[in-house]
Amino acid sequence: MVSNESAKADALRQEVRNWLRENLPKGWGTPEYVLPEPYSKESHERGKEWTKKLYDAGYTGFGYPKEYGGIERPPEEIAIIRQEMARTGTPGGPLSLGLLVAAPTILSHGEEWQKKRFIPKVLNGEESWCEGFSEPDAGSDLANVQTTAVRDGDEWVINGQKCWTSMWEFADWGLLVARTEPDAPRHRNLSYFLFDTTTPGFSRRPLRQMSGEAEFGEMFFDDMRVPHKNMMSEQGRGWYVAMTALQHERSGGGAFFGGAGGADLAGLSDRRSAAIESAVDLAKNTRRYGKVVWEDDVFRQRIAQFAIEAQAMRWSGARITAKLRKGIPFGNEASVVKNFQAEMRERRGDMAMEILGAYSQLVRGSRRAVDEGDWVYDMLRSRGSTIEMGTSEINRNIIAERILGLPR
Amino acid sequence: MEFTLNEEQEMLKTMARDFLANECPKTLVRELMEDEVGHSPELWKKMAEVGWLGLVFPEEYGGAGMSFRDLTILCEEMGRAMLPGPFLSTLFLVGLPILSAGTEEQKKEYLPKIANGEMVCTLAALEEDGDLWAQGIQLKAVQRGDDYIIDGTKLFVPDAKAADYILVAARTQRTADPEEGITLFLIDTTEWGIYATLLKTMDETRKQYEVVFNKVAVPARNIIGELNKGWPVIKDVALKTTAALCAEMVGGGEWVLETTINYAKDRIAFGVPIGSFQIIKHKCADMYSALEYARSLMEWAAEAIKEDSPDAPTAVSMAKSYCGDAYRIVTDHGVQIHGGIGFTWDHDMHLYFKRARSSDTAFGDSNYHRELIARQLD
Repeated sequence: MVSNESAKADALRQEVRNWLRENLPKGWGTPEYVLPEPYSKESHERGKEWTKKLYDAGYTGFGYPKEYGGIERPPEEIAIIRQEMARTGTPGGPLSLGLLVAAPTILSHGEEWQKKRFIPKVLNGEESWCEGFSEPDAGSDLANVQTTAVRDGDEWVINGQKCWTSMWEFADWGLLVARTEPDAPRHRNLSYFLFDTTTPGFSRRPLRQMSGEAEFGEMFFDDMRVPHKNMMSEQGRGWYVAMTALQHERSGGGAFFGGAGGADLAGLSDRRSAAIESAVDLAKNTRRYGKVVWEDDVFRQRIAQFAIEAQAMRWSGARITAKLRKGIPFGNEASVVKNFQAEMRERRGDMAMEILGAYSQLVRGSRRAVDEGDWVYDMLRSRGSTIEMGTSEINRNIIAERILGLPR
Repeated sequence: MEFTLNEEQEMLKTMARDFLANECPKTLVRELMEDEVGHSPELWKKMAEVGWLGLVFPEEYGGAGMSFRDLTILCEEMGRAMLPGPFLSTLFLVGLPILSAGTEEQKKEYLPKIANGEMVCTLAALEEDGDLWAQGIQLKAVQRGDDYIIDGTKLFVPDAKAADYILVAARTQRTADPEEGITLFLIDTTEWGIYATLLKTMDETRKQYEVVFNKVAVPARNIIGELNKGWPVIKDVALKTTAALCAEMVGGGEWVLETTINYAKDRIAFGVPIGSFQIIKHKCADMYSALEYARSLMEWAAEAIKEDSPDAPTAVSMAKSYCGDAYRIVTDHGVQIHGGIGFTWDHDMHLYFKRARSSDTAFGDSNYHRELIARQLD
């Protein structure tokens, strides 16, 4: 709460604000700033540059020891920095998957050389990551991975296909789950690899989704060779590494929420508050049958509910942080957070369509589209949010079985 | 903001849970449901002995000097145990306003008596329209010498038959601003001219009454707070009691979830525990999620009140709105997952189902508080 902040906190807040003012791209937050095409090369490069700037200023790279390139600051300072960044809606960049999944997974399962080699370059924005989990026949049933890895001397030979790969096009490195022991029981037959996307035998192509763009891709492995030392954890333990990676991803709320990462959701929720403000603005600026939508009790109630849920998320994030500080682990709870966010996003998208009426049909690029068609896009895109990173149904199973102890 | 309990708070919680498990079993709850007064003086005495009735009063007034957050920990356990009787009425509706608005003399006279269990109290605020707002307070108090004469009817007065004193919100002046001209009088219920009649309520663990005041004379020194300035005191009472209700709702909801999970593990249908069916799992997951977020908002509200933060009204409205919805959904699923047994009178599930409804209505329901939040976005 602002009223209780010490002078030191105020000074840091001011410092971050000044820094952002000087360093944010020209025109940021105004119509004159033109976002690069999402998922384009340019967007990817700008993301790398921005992460480097943040890192050099000491505003990212938290939660990691110094020897792996981490920037150590007290949690209160980190919260302030994230809040300030969220407030201005700073660019997240395509590197969030590295921060969200690769770095924390390598930290918990990697060998010493892997931590020293890979984590610093995630934190400073030098290298970007993608992950190869899902396959055409392994979605919710992720253990049904068919991509194979066969040992050949000091190397593994990978063959198979992955799909729904975020950051597929420009990622420098990839995480990969492949079947290493065809005869071992389920969950003990997979291994986890780190692979360089310039390796011969690797290819990729776009996977176009219902919202129109190709945010995701497909990856193909045709006798791709990966050195044995790039296996993470032990052979046959890949499933467990993948589960850790997924928890990191869910607790971070997914790449599409951008940059906050980890379980400290304070910054993230402030960002959602900006999403509330935009819904209020939409309702205030839209008339239906001659009446301002914001004066309609039905919509007032629904928008207020989003404001309440955003605060609920914020304080749940604070509770999780408090537990982490006490050493109480945060694992399956990620499924609660993920579902809550994803389902909220869907409802918000649906509500916007109801407010927009006939204009809800006009997509990005159309004449007369409201807010450049972003509401329509977000409503469509939100359909993926309840599927990716574990469907809402899989997450409910996790909550019921692993938190509440109901029988499998 | 502290979001984990300290050692002392953990002890308070454990002690409260054990105490209520021993002293307030469901047999007692059901006994009091059948009773017109709904109050157990024996249990009350024990609650006074463990220091609950004066928990947040300073030690000079016979209290334990603990924090508002500590008090809500007790409320969680009370909601869980479905404690009947006048705890909220006595402590929140009357004790806290005396503490915040009473004169030194009044505090010295009444607070130690509340703390040691001698004085059961309640607040009479609502009237015929059933809403807690300044316009709703029409019951008149007219000055006559050193006394005021109270004349009129109050509705939905909790615990009136158990109460030794009723704090009455009355209109002492008619002005353009309805929030002006309201005064709070502390009335001894043994005075002549007070008639309480039970209103048979759905939630029988919380007794409510129609109370008629027939030209009851109250000395001016029994005014709590300032003459004509009673409304801000009522608003403060509402703020704190609403936070207490949220704590009760979260505690009660957690009982419902745990009871339902156990049932889903034990109940066999089609040869397997019903908890192995995804449709049951998913309802349980939704109950858990609703309670997690309800707890986050409730704890925020409790901390905000404890710290006297300007965010407190926002936090309380958000918490009440969310907890009200959550408790209703959780009890809906609780009854449904229990199936036939959950629909019986004998099973305790309906007590929680009904408490969820009465708690939602009290001090503004979810829709009301959502509208208050919408106004902040105007």
